Amino acid sequence: MAEILVIEEAVTFAAGDGTHPVTRELCHAADDIARRTGHEWASLEVALPEALLRDPAAFGEAIAEASRDSWLVMMGSTSLGRDVMARAAGLLQVPLAQDCTAYSVTDGSPTFTRPLYGGKVLVDVQLKSRPMLATFRPRALPAFDGVARVLKHVACRSPTSPVVQVDVCAARVGRTLGVTEADVVVSGGRGMVGPDNWHILEELVSVLGPRATLACSRPVSDEGWRPRAEHVGQTGQAIAPDVYIACGISGAIQHVAGITGSKCIIAINRDADAPIFKVADYGIVGDLFEVVPALTQAIRAFGDS
Amino acid sequence: MKIAVCIKQTPDTEARILVAPSGCSIEEAGLTWIISPHDESALEQALQIRDRCQGRVTAVALGPARVKQALREALAMGADEALHLPCDAMPADAAVTAAALAQALAPRTFDLILTGEQSIDQAGSQVPQRLAVALGWPCVTAVEGLEVDGNSVNAERPREQAEETVRFELPAVVGINRRIGEPRYPSFRGIMKAKRKPIGVAVVTLDEEAMVRVRMRAPKAKKQGVVGAYGSGIEDTVAALLAGAAKV
Ligand SMILES: Cc1cc2nc3c(=O)[nH]c(=O)nc-3n(C[C@H](O)[C@H](O)[C@H](O)COP(=O)(O)OP(=O)(O)OC[C@H]3O[C@@H](n4cnc5c(N)ncnc54)[C@H](O)[C@@H]3O)c2cc1C
Ligand SMILES: Nc1ncnc2c1ncn2[C@@H]1O[C@H](COP(=O)(O)O)[C@@H](O)[C@H]1O
Repeated sequence: MAEILVIEEAVTFAAGDGTHPVTRELCHAADDIARRTGHEWASLEVALPEALLRDPAAFGEAIAEASRDSWLVMMGSTSLGRDVMARAAGLLQVPLAQDCTAYSVTDGSPTFTRPLYGGKVLVDVQLKSRPMLATFRPRALPAFDGVARVLKHVACRSPTSPVVQVDVCAARVGRTLGVTEADVVVSGGRGMVGPDNWHILEELVSVLGPRATLACSRPVSDEGWRPRAEHVGQTGQAIAPDVYIACGISGAIQHVAGITGSKCIIAINRDADAPIFKVADYGIVGDLFEVVPALTQAIRAFGDS
Repeated sequence: MKIAVCIKQTPDTEARILVAPSGCSIEEAGLTWIISPHDESALEQALQIRDRCQGRVTAVALGPARVKQALREALAMGADEALHLPCDAMPADAAVTAAALAQALAPRTFDLILTGEQSIDQAGSQVPQRLAVALGWPCVTAVEGLEVDGNSVNAERPREQAEETVRFELPAVVGINRRIGEPRYPSFRGIMKAKRKPIGVAVVTLDEEAMVRVRMRAPKAKKQGVVGAYGSGIEDTVAALLAGAAKV
């Protein structure tokens, strides 16, 4: 196996099967770290029987087995990635830098940056054992544009591991482009008043193109106005889109914890004192039921001209 | 059914967090402390299972003396007993925490260990899986629905791509997400009763941390954005920017 390994996560999109987009971002980091430290790198496809691919114990065991002699092993900080890497780290008895957003290389070894306390503090950590294990938040790193060497590890499961039977009961409800993957995220809060007003955000998403999607604040998913997969914040998803558009969201600290990775934050709120304006790059004070359709209209007009 | 719930005491989510001069820890003076939100929901689940199936709920917390307050709160919510694993400072590495918890929990023959999916301060997302490895048990985490029927468990675990249902047998470790449901408030009677309940102590040894903190720091301050009333022209700036982002 290679000294630096990127663990691929297979995912199913509406358009077909593939690897999670975070894989290309990890390949970028692997390639860069490899160059600067004189290691070789590859991406690793773990081949498990279909029934076990969703079992973090089996997947984690396979990673531990494949990476025993590696120097650095990285995977996406997705819900599966965090789970299987924690399992692998437990089996290998090594530390794991979970949910990293950046790295640097000094004296031939990497330092990993992780947000703590809901992003109020950043910590730089070094890992004093081998292999070093890290997961990276999707969209925190640039994507690799070269061709990766792909290795395959065919795993067989040790008969002593505990069994969990995973049934996939349904595809995720809601939109096919997940909140962590989208370039542009349009998000609604309690200011949307109810589940029946979401069409105005849907229309904004549709003029923003195929890389845009919907998100929401926690009360919105708690109330069942939107699927819980769309909930962003400290107890939901942490996201890092190019643009985040908060509509009728007050900007509570627990919400902001999930969006600080955004490159640009736009807020629409009728309360000029709403805390969301403190973190917004652009803020429009006004009634969202007026502002959002007007924005949709104006963007459409840009397209037509 | 013997259920353990691992609770971590963390600063309140609203708290202002300052890095200590050492650069490797935070200023703890003046902080308000809470039970980490996911753990509080894990405790709620444990109490509900106990009330349905009989049994005992033990709240377990590793940390300095201050964490006894979190155990008191757990007792006030309705936990039957509390177990404190004392140490000088909260470990920064989830590997160390999990190993210490395993030392205390392994000999006590629990049927079910509940944890939060993630501690809200360190966000390790590791303790449940590591604990399960140490005990040789199955582990399901990020759980948002839990049904226990005798020794069989059904858990709902949403992934980014699909809603999964997971079936497994006890004993097991289950990591709970807050979205499973809000915890109860302690009753006045619960608070009074909790004052009289003893807090047990289990002595554990901590491993040396192999994840080393080089530096803690505040993130770069954000520069003040442009805010204007609808109609002042700000909406044109935003529309142009969004049209650019959409590449229409
Ligand atoms: C432990 C803990 C964890 C939490 N985790 C999360 C989390 O992960 N994510 C999260 O989002 N929250 C979380 N919360 C909840 C958080 O504290 C806030 O309660 C929540 O974010 C508020 O949601 P909101 O902004 O949609 O609603 P509100 O705070 O009610 O804000 C609604 C906003 O809409 C504006 N508005 C109303 N009508 C209009 C209109 N017509 N036009 C324009 N603006 C309008 C109002 O001015 C207001 O600012 C957590 C809380 C706790 C205690
Ligand atoms: N010091 C601690 N004492 C008791 N339980 C803990 C402690 N630290 C973490 N846990 C448990 O492990 C879960 C996951 O923590 P972490 O891996 O740090 O994100 C938490 O939600 C708690 O249930």
